[in-house]
Amino acid sequence: MGPKPRLTPASLRKELFATPLDGLVTVLLVTGLAVAGSRLLHWALAQADWAVIQANSTLFAVGRYPIEHQWRLWLLVALLAAAAGLSWGVLRSRPLPDRPITALWPGNDRLATGILVLLASWAPAALGLTLPIQSRWWALTGLLLLVRWLAGRFGNRLGKTATLSLPLVWPLLYLVGMVLIGGGLGLVTVGANEWGGLLLTLVEASFAILLSAPLGVLLALGRRSSLPLLRWGSIVYIEFIRGAPLITLLFLGQNILGFLLPGGMAPDRIWRAAWILTFFSAAYLAEAVRSGLAAVPRGQLEAARSLGLSLPQALAQVVLPQALQIALPATVGQFISLLQDTTLLSLIGLLDLLGTARSVMANPLFLGKSSEVYLTLAVLFWCCCAALGLGSRALERRLNPPSLGR
Amino acid sequence: MTAEPKVAKTPAMIEARGVEKWYPNGFHALRGVDLTVQRGEVVVIMGPSGSGKSTFIRTFNALEEFQKGSITVDGIALNDDLRKIDAIRREVGMVFQQFNLFPHLSVLDNLTLAPVLVRKRSKGEVLNQAMALLERVGIAEQAHKFPGQLSGGQQQRVAIARSLCMEPRILLFDEPTSSLDPEMVREVLEVMQGLAADGMTMVVVTHEVGFARQVADRVVLMADGQVVEEATPERFFDQPQHERSRQFLSQIL
Repeated sequence: MGPKPRLTPASLRKELFATPLDGLVTVLLVTGLAVAGSRLLHWALAQADWAVIQANSTLFAVGRYPIEHQWRLWLLVALLAAAAGLSWGVLRSRPLPDRPITALWPGNDRLATGILVLLASWAPAALGLTLPIQSRWWALTGLLLLVRWLAGRFGNRLGKTATLSLPLVWPLLYLVGMVLIGGGLGLVTVGANEWGGLLLTLVEASFAILLSAPLGVLLALGRRSSLPLLRWGSIVYIEFIRGAPLITLLFLGQNILGFLLPGGMAPDRIWRAAWILTFFSAAYLAEAVRSGLAAVPRGQLEAARSLGLSLPQALAQVVLPQALQIALPATVGQFISLLQDTTLLSLIGLLDLLGTARSVMANPLFLGKSSEVYLTLAVLFWCCCAALGLGSRALERRLNPPSLGR
Repeated sequence: MTAEPKVAKTPAMIEARGVEKWYPNGFHALRGVDLTVQRGEVVVIMGPSGSGKSTFIRTFNALEEFQKGSITVDGIALNDDLRKIDAIRREVGMVFQQFNLFPHLSVLDNLTLAPVLVRKRSKGEVLNQAMALLERVGIAEQAHKFPGQLSGGQQQRVAIARSLCMEPRILLFDEPTSSLDPEMVREVLEVMQGLAADGMTMVVVTHEVGFARQVADRVVLMADGQVVEEATPERFFDQPQHERSRQFLSQIL
């Protein structure tokens, strides 16, 4: 990596006004952007009526989740904040292949911290939340940054095993989260039909992400297997799922899972949808992993086998780590579209984020406020997807083994 | 015309009889190849490209299947029994033309992976041995680097050390210097020469005439999936018996 080009007036002129035509394009684009931006800003600040968001913020966040149990969700968010801070900090405390010494708060992190602090101080107030609730958000942000600081400061003292098992925090947290959300283990049960909004969207998406990842790897290995039954089974599965629109599968799933599984075994609507999302995503993931497997030179497997490793050992230790690293960008892309695909759940009558929004917009009190609602939804989804993308890029840079060329 | 076989006190390390192989596309790659390699012997296999020499040595550790004939490695007959294949692979090391180091592991982890996983040895003990081997091939100071940070010659020396870390009884070399820059060929050949001097049984597919002359006990010339000539290096290079051998030598010398 060479030195970053510095932005100076001279370099800007060279970049943007190199020829008369370039200059014209620049002027046109900048004018267009400025007009659109100022109009949007004018609408958002002067014309839009954000009362619809303020009045329904709890509904958008958790749906009709019983108020007396909402402390469980706050606890979960606190755990998530701590886990995010931990992962962030430990990632930063590790030296990069091409940057051996990392600052505790490099420029990007200072920017991210600034945005977080701004968001935490502005958003709760703008949503018209009460002061106690506002202060909870401040505390959560503080917790995230505190753990980030501690992990960044002391993360390099963790041993290799501790670092490698760190990602396991997330599936573990998922299990804890499901108990906190749904009840059990001494907590009062809150039925899935009472979950909604962003909570339901994230539960469905994270369930599908966590389960489709191993399923996708198995399918990809199956498709390359030398056992004909396994290979053909995988091919038929992958091609069938990829050939059908998700919405038809969701509708089918609502009916078919009821027939296929013996009475009582069929999960309720929310879990049926989660399984369909999982099966759907797994087929696409399998293709991403397959391309990763194909990119690992044949000699890798041969070298591993000639050293005496069994096929499962060779796959687990040599081929898959390389294949998954190659497939990581495509995999995260699939996760991002999976997150967005959860909006289809509103079409089968679930009150996910979009479903909740549709029910709010149907309320006569908020007629004609759809722009405000959709813009809020878009920003929420963008935040979730941006977080996924940022995390994956950070991971990618650290997984790349160092080489002479870089 | 074969060289006088060494008098075998112990059973041969590799005994290949009438090995024939067809590729799935019908190509007849090996047409009844015989070869006996005694303990401690260094055999160099030469031949034009496409003669089947790489395919042949890859049958010794079952990286390639064969359809007819028999191969016995260190007294174990190679057949479809997977446990026997695993047993043979533990005893047979292989060094590839493309090195095939594991790029996601450090040099040291490349060496320790198989002994820990396959031989179930303790990591600490293997680490000591691995460092000693890296010392022996002259790159101990690179132990914590990754393969991508090393030159081709260094990578190939790591690959040799990785094979040695499994304590094999035989080492197979499949054109170990063919993808190296000329100035790095020597450092690899010197390591191989050292191994031969220590009594390692080696089968080497190579075009390095100097190495064959100095180190080999026997030179085998393969062409069109068959052994054409088998002789001591002196005889092979100075008085080749077959027209095919003379033709080949005139092209590479």
